[in-house]
Order: sequence, then structure tokens, then C-alpha cells
Amino acid sequence: MIKEDKKTKRPFDLWESIFLVSGVFSFVVCVLLIANYFQINRADPVNTKVLNALIERLEQDESDQALRTEIREFDLLARKAYFTNQWQIRFGGYLLLAGVLVCILAALMIDAKKTKVKEIELPVKKTYVLTQRNARKWLSAGGLMLAVTAMVFAYITHKNMEDPVSGEASTGNDRNTFVDPESNRSDDLSPDTTQFAVADTAKADTVKKLVFNPLDYPTAAMKNNFPTFRGAGAIGLSHKNNAPVSWDGASGRNIKWKTAVPLPGMNSPIVWGNFVFLTGANEVKQEVYCFNKNTGKIIWKTNVPKSTQSPKVSDDTGHAAASAATDGENVYAVFSNGDIAAIDHAGKMIWSGNLGVPDKSYGHSSSLIVYFDKLIVQYDQKKGSNLMALDTKTGKTIWSTPRKVKSSWSSPSIVNTGSRVEILVLADPGLSSYDPATGKQLWSINCTSGEVGPSIAYANGIAFAVNEYAKLAAIKVGDQPTILWENNDYLSDVPSPVATKDFLFVATSYGEVACYNTKSGEEYWVHDFEAGIYSSPMIVGKLVYLMDRKGTMHIFKAEKKFTLVGEPMLGEKSDYTPAFADGQVFIRAGNNLYCIGK
Amino acid sequence: MKKSIYILFFILSAIFAFQSFPVNAENRFPKPEFEQGHIQPETITPSPRLLLLEYLDVAVLITALSLISYFILKKRSRKLVFWTSVFSVLYFGFYREGCVCSIGAIQNVTLALFKDDYHIPLTAFLFFIIPLIYTLLFGRTFCAGICPLGALQDIVGLKPMPIEAWLEKVLGIFPFIYLGLAVLFAATGTDFVICRYDPFVGFFRLDASFTMFMIGGLFLIAGVFIARPYCRFLCPYGALLNIISRFSFKHMTITPETCINCRLCENACPYGAINMPVQLKEKEKTETVVRRYILLSIMVPIFIFTGGFLASNFSSGFAHVNPKVKLAKELKNNTNYGMGEKEALEITAFRSSGQSMDELNLEVAKIEKEFYLGSWILGGFTGLVFGLMLISLTVFKYHPDYSPNKATCHSCARCMEFCPVKPGVL
Repeated sequence: MIKEDKKTKRPFDLWESIFLVSGVFSFVVCVLLIANYFQINRADPVNTKVLNALIERLEQDESDQALRTEIREFDLLARKAYFTNQWQIRFGGYLLLAGVLVCILAALMIDAKKTKVKEIELPVKKTYVLTQRNARKWLSAGGLMLAVTAMVFAYITHKNMEDPVSGEASTGNDRNTFVDPESNRSDDLSPDTTQFAVADTAKADTVKKLVFNPLDYPTAAMKNNFPTFRGAGAIGLSHKNNAPVSWDGASGRNIKWKTAVPLPGMNSPIVWGNFVFLTGANEVKQEVYCFNKNTGKIIWKTNVPKSTQSPKVSDDTGHAAASAATDGENVYAVFSNGDIAAIDHAGKMIWSGNLGVPDKSYGHSSSLIVYFDKLIVQYDQKKGSNLMALDTKTGKTIWSTPRKVKSSWSSPSIVNTGSRVEILVLADPGLSSYDPATGKQLWSINCTSGEVGPSIAYANGIAFAVNEYAKLAAIKVGDQPTILWENNDYLSDVPSPVATKDFLFVATSYGEVACYNTKSGEEYWVHDFEAGIYSSPMIVGKLVYLMDRKGTMHIFKAEKKFTLVGEPMLGEKSDYTPAFADGQVFIRAGNNLYCIGK
Repeated sequence: MKKSIYILFFILSAIFAFQSFPVNAENRFPKPEFEQGHIQPETITPSPRLLLLEYLDVAVLITALSLISYFILKKRSRKLVFWTSVFSVLYFGFYREGCVCSIGAIQNVTLALFKDDYHIPLTAFLFFIIPLIYTLLFGRTFCAGICPLGALQDIVGLKPMPIEAWLEKVLGIFPFIYLGLAVLFAATGTDFVICRYDPFVGFFRLDASFTMFMIGGLFLIAGVFIARPYCRFLCPYGALLNIISRFSFKHMTITPETCINCRLCENACPYGAINMPVQLKEKEKTETVVRRYILLSIMVPIFIFTGGFLASNFSSGFAHVNPKVKLAKELKNNTNYGMGEKEALEITAFRSSGQSMDELNLEVAKIEKEFYLGSWILGGFTGLVFGLMLISLTVFKYHPDYSPNKATCHSCARCMEFCPVKPGVL
């Protein structure tokens, strides 16, 4: 009899049935609503392939009324589908709400019918003190855990946290006004070349150790701007691909502004936010300039006092050959005599010093580059070459690695190989890699000779080194670097090469450009632009921009076959590498800085 | 212990959900472009709600609070409390779409206190203050069934399970932290985070981001098994009521007469808000208690300083929530809100406003300074709450019989149904 009772299933009563049905109904509606949400998110109804193709066809023949009608009908259909979908979501929401309400009501009714039997545990437990003790213990543990988590999180994110935007405002009153060049204290400089004068000692004292993920290099902010000679990482790659391809200096077509640069300099522009930076120098003065990116107006110019006599330089290099670098907070500049300075974006000198007058012809010309909190300086000379990292906040040396190389005028590049970040530096006798954190040499390979001017190109794990009277070498980077291929047909003494994943472009100073397969070294094409080239080519999207010495920009496709896209002329001599940001090109030419684009 | 794990899992899921689903509020369907002279109708801004109707809301709030207090204290009826909850969900929830609400009004009051150019609507102020007054008089009757958020969770709380008392205490600190954060963001004019992250308002309006629907759904599903998870472990207004209710003039009681210690109500409260009888013999040695009390009292200033120091490290991070700070940062780094080539609306608006970068930067510097000070206060407040909680767990509280914990009792009247003592019987 008992067995029969167990086997007999009690039939669902009315409320239980309602509960079950409404529960299943709500669940199904909920799943459908979620699916609908994802479907809507995935679809882009006014940007379908079909519609875009039709619009493209219409642009070719705007008089095609039948096509116009077809597009309208298609567009209307897409809109109808969208609003139908919206209605479905709203109606589904009401259905779900109704279903859930019925389900809850049924559950309450079922619950109300149940006899509430009180279960009492015997005997009475004496739990008061135990509960309090446990609560104290877990509350303390929880609080400690919260504090430790907060501390760790604060430590990890310290760089971001220590980056108050208001830093821009600290000298807000100085903005939009010229800084009196004489106002900078020349007596800040110590005769001891290893010492740096820090304008704001309080700021220097509060410098804290910064933490960052090395593999974030180059950061999104760097990519959005143009912080260094040859772009983020200094490998000739612009992360913006919307640069204009047409302009004319003579008529002013597509020239947004043109501003005279007070002092000469062979350095190229860099861009951050609303500012464009250049440096200029002669035998008596050294200056850093900040231009308004939208108007071209010089917002400020800051004098970097000469700490020592400048060396003899040629006209081709001058006293301000090295391009400046910025990290979004300060702009860093170095001059032919080794004077180096950090200036904030309001024009205020943060620190300055001298690296020692370089023992080489033409003076110092290697451009600067920033690696998070370190300013990397390649200081190759006849004796005592070294690569150093200066603290961006104070100018103090973080590390300095001696280099057994001859004088060079190339600039350091920083590449992210995917597993680590390396500083790649080229000088006779070869290419060397350094750990940016410690300055330790990671590897080195002999591949060049002579007085090296060009910097390297890098793409897809392969670095390309070239120098006149030496050779072109493709080097697979890594702890065991290997030369993949070599060539000595087209060599450069000034412009640096540039590479995409598949193609390498080598521009020579006499005007010929050669394109190679990056992996095999197969020569795809050679084109003679019939004008000398000192500027380094830049990859911008699928195009290569290359300025010749006459001021004509040669724009061609980064492809296996040579295809010229445009040859806009500026009309002024230019030996500088252009900068790219926000759909604009910034070119130094003659004594002017140009902004091209809208 | 198993139930505690469920709760922890739920909280982690909610946090994960916050992180995982980006808010997609972009209007993906632009207006059609007409070529035949059709003029787009002007965008119409809905007119504000009639003032008279706003006062009606206040009248409804007072009436509902009076009625529910009467139902709890005089009628001692769980059923009437339940139906009042249903009414609140319908009126304050679905009809008034969760606004104005007392929880969010904390931010209006804060903003009015810190920003001279903000004038708080009278109704918002009344919605903030009236439940506080009723709580001071009758305990948390507002939570019982007037707050639409609490009422909704109360209705779905079908299978509530008790959780460990110690866990209840530990999680009890979060409403205070949330309260501090909400005050910080409101005081700096940054955001009304309580409203932005209200998990239930989307249901009332049938309109919210997918993320918020998911979070709200998680809370409701969890609410079936863990009674009122939002009220107990997050609600910032609940944190205020928790303090005020301790001093309530006439709080509800489990028994209408003298408690006979029958123990029938022992497991009745889904919120663990019943003080069990504690015998004097359970008391620890006075010497031990006093020593611990003194030690913790000395530690409180250390907790305050440590909390302040830790929170101050996040001041820049907190400040970046502020739209102006965010704008300045985007402009400074030229990151264009990650919009790629198309200029972000915020930047277009800034350019057309005529404000200079210098003016913006000076404004931002002021905001960041406020955040720095505010973060110290927030951290100090959290440290203080933490210290006081530890002290309260040291003090021996003698209870001869079963009584509601005035701080955490939501006055839902469930326990009354279990009491066999009827008024006037004893």
C-alpha cells in the first residue's frame, strides 16, 4: 500500500500548471529577445553590401532614375525591417513581463496553499559569541583583502592614475603667449655635463616608479599622434590612413596653413593633440617651437640655453638636425652640441642639461624617442659611444650602455616583436638590440660599415639595415639573429627604408626607389623620380609618401607593381620627413611649416 | 556555507556582467535624407510633468507610508504589507517609471549641498526626507513595501534561504561604500551613478541597455533565493535607513505582547534580522571585551587614514568618469573617444562652444582637486564604517527574547505570522 502511494504521482493542480506554462513561456520569450538583440546588433541595415553597391553605381551615373528608385525602395525596406524589429522587441518585452507576472502570481498561490510547518532545532545553540567572532574574523579578512587589492590595483595602474589631465592647466595662464627666451634660467645648467638642471625640484622629488605593460608599446595614444621622427616607434609607419593625396603649394590648394619657422633646423615635425613641435638653432640660439595644429600660429617658443660651444656642422645637418620627441606631457629636444631639454606642453622648461659635445663630424643628429618613462638617446661618436635612457621627469640617467661602434647619425627605433620590446640601433659594424627596461644588449649582428646615416625599417619580425657603400641586409630579429638576404644594388646614405609585411622600399639619395620582397629579397620594381631624396618615405595605409628634395611628394601604392597615385608639389625645397595626423600632413619645407588638408 | 558560496558567486557574476557588456547606446539608424523638399520635423522635448502631479506623488508617498506603518504596527498583517508592495511596484515602479525615487534623491540632495547653481526640486527633497522621518518614527516601513525596488524583490522572494550571519555582516559594508561613491560623484557634479546603475528601472520603463537588463535579471533571479540582494548588500539609501532605524521611536515587534520564547519565529526572517535571545552566561570575560574594545577604538583612526590614503590613489581614476575630465584627456591625447576618423560628438560640441583649452584645463584642474579631497573623505568614511562595524561586533548585546534587529529589519511583517501570541491574550 505504501509502495503504491509512492508510485502514484499527484496531478498538477491549476496553479501549478499555470506556473509551469507561464515559466516555460517566459523563458522562451526571454531567449528570443536575447537572440533578437544580438541579431540587431550584428546587422547594419543602412550599410549593407547591396545598398552600398547600388549607391556606388548611382554615383557613376546620377541620371539613372530607375536605379535611384530601386535604392529608395531598398532603403525603405531596410527601415521597415528595422522598425518592425523594434516593435517585436517592445511587444516581446510586454509578453515577457506578463509571463513573469503570471508566473510569480502562480508561485505565490502555490506557496499560500502550503502548510507552513515550523521546524525548531533542539537544543538551543549558543551561537552569539561564535557568530560575533566569525563576523569579526571575516570582516577583518575582507577589509584586508579589499585594502590589498586596492593597493595592488593602485600600483599596477599608477601611470594612468598619476596622469592628471589638469597638468595641462598648471601653467594655463602661460598658454597662448610667447615665452620670453631670456626668461629661461641659463644658470640652471651645471658645468658638469652629467648633471641636469630640473626647473621644478618639487616635481622631481615626487617622481614615483611607474608601472606599465611593455607590450602595450606603441600605445593607442602614440598611434593616434605622431610622437617621434618617422612616427610611433620610428619605423616609418603612420597609424592614420586618411592623408590627402593632392595639393598645390603655388595656388595654395588644400594648404590649410603655412607658418614661417624662426630658426633653421633639419629636424622633422612631430604632432601630439593640438600641437605640432619643431626645433630650430643657429650658432648662438637653440629653440623649441609649438604650433597650433589648427591655425599654424606659434603658441610658444622656448629657448634652450647653450651650455657650451656648438661643434662645426655642415649645411646639410645644421645645429638642430635631431627631431624632437614627445610623450604627451613634455617635448624633448637635443641639439648639435649635446644640449638636451624637456619642455612641457605649455612651454615651461622642466629640465635641461648637456650630454657632452659629441666627438664626431657634423655634430649630434640622432633623433630622440620615448619609451614610457625613459627618453632614449643614441649617442654614437668616435670614442665613448653609448645608448642611454634618461628619466623623462628629471633628466637623470636611468641606464647607459657603452657601445663599441663608430660614429653614426641614424636614429633609434623601438619595435614590439610580440614577445618583447626592443630598441634597434644601427651603426658600424652592425645592428644591435637593447632591452629598453635595463639597457642590456640583447643581441648584435654585423651587417653594415661606414658612417651610417639611415635608420632601420622593420616589419613582421624582420629589420632592414642599409647604408651607402655597404649593403642592404634583411635581418630576422631574435636572440639568434640571422641575415635572410642581402643586396647592394640600391643603397642609401640619408633616407631610411620603410617596410610593410610584404614589401620593402629603399629610397636612394639620388632619386631612385627600389621595391623588394621582404622575405626573399626579390626585386619587384625600381623607379627613378629624377630628383634627389633626403626625406624618409612613410607608409600611410596602403600608400607610400616620399618627398623629394625639390618639394614634390611622390605618392605611390605599397604594392608589387609600381603605381603612382599622385605627385603634389609644394614648391619649396624639403629634406624633411612629413608627419601625419588627423587627415593632415605636416611638412617642413624651406623656412616654413605647412599643414596640408582640411 | 554552501549558500554563502551562492551569494559570492552571484556578486561576482554581477561584477563580471558590469565589466563584460559594453553599453551600446548609439543610434544606429540615421534619419533618412530627402531630396524632394521634405522638411524634417523638429525634435520635440517633452514638457516636464505638471507640478500638481508631482505633489500628488508626494501625497501618495505619505499616504502609502502612513498606511503601511499602520498595517505593520497596528494591524500586524503581512498580507496588507504584501498588497501595499504590489501597489508600490505598480505606482512608483511601472506608472512613475521608478522616478522620482528616494534612493536616487540622495544625489539630488548632495548636488544641491555642493553646487550652488543647482536647485533641488522640492519633490526630490521630500522624497529624500519623508522616508527618513518615517524611519525615525516607525523603523524601515519604507523598505517594507513602499520602495518599488525593494517591493519588487520582496514579491519575487519565493524561496528565500538564510545566509550565514557573519557573511551578512561582511557584505553589509558594501552599501556604505556605494553610498560614499554616489555622494562623491554627485558632489563633483559628475554623474548620478545610483540612477545610471539602477538594476530595476529598466523593467519599470521596459527600456534599458542589454547590460542593465542582464544585471537586473540576475538580481531578480538571485532574489528568488536570497531575499532582497540589492537592498541588503548594495542599496545606499538602505545604509542611511540602517543607521536611522536604530533610533526609531516605535519599531515593530515580533510579538504583540511578552515573548514566550516559543522559538516559532526563529527561522522566519529571510533577512536574518531577528535577534536571538542571548543569555548573560554567554558573555565573554569583561577584561577580554574591554581590551579588544580599546584596541579597536585606537585602530579606528588608522583605518580612517589607511582608507583615505588608498582611495586617494584612485582619485585620478574616479575623476576620469567626469565628462569634462574625459573630454580634456581625449583632446590632450587626441584619441577622439576611439571613434577613428569621424570626430566624436563631444569634441564637436566643445569646439562649437567657444571654450578655450585653457579654460577647460582650469575647470578640469578644479574638478580633479575636488576628486582628490573627495577620495580621501570617501576612503576615510569607509575606514570609519569598517572600524565601527568591528567595534559593534565586540560589544555584548543582551537580548532576553526574540526581537527584530532595528538596523537590518525591513519591517516586512513575515515574522509576525509565526508568533502564536495574540494581542491582549497575555
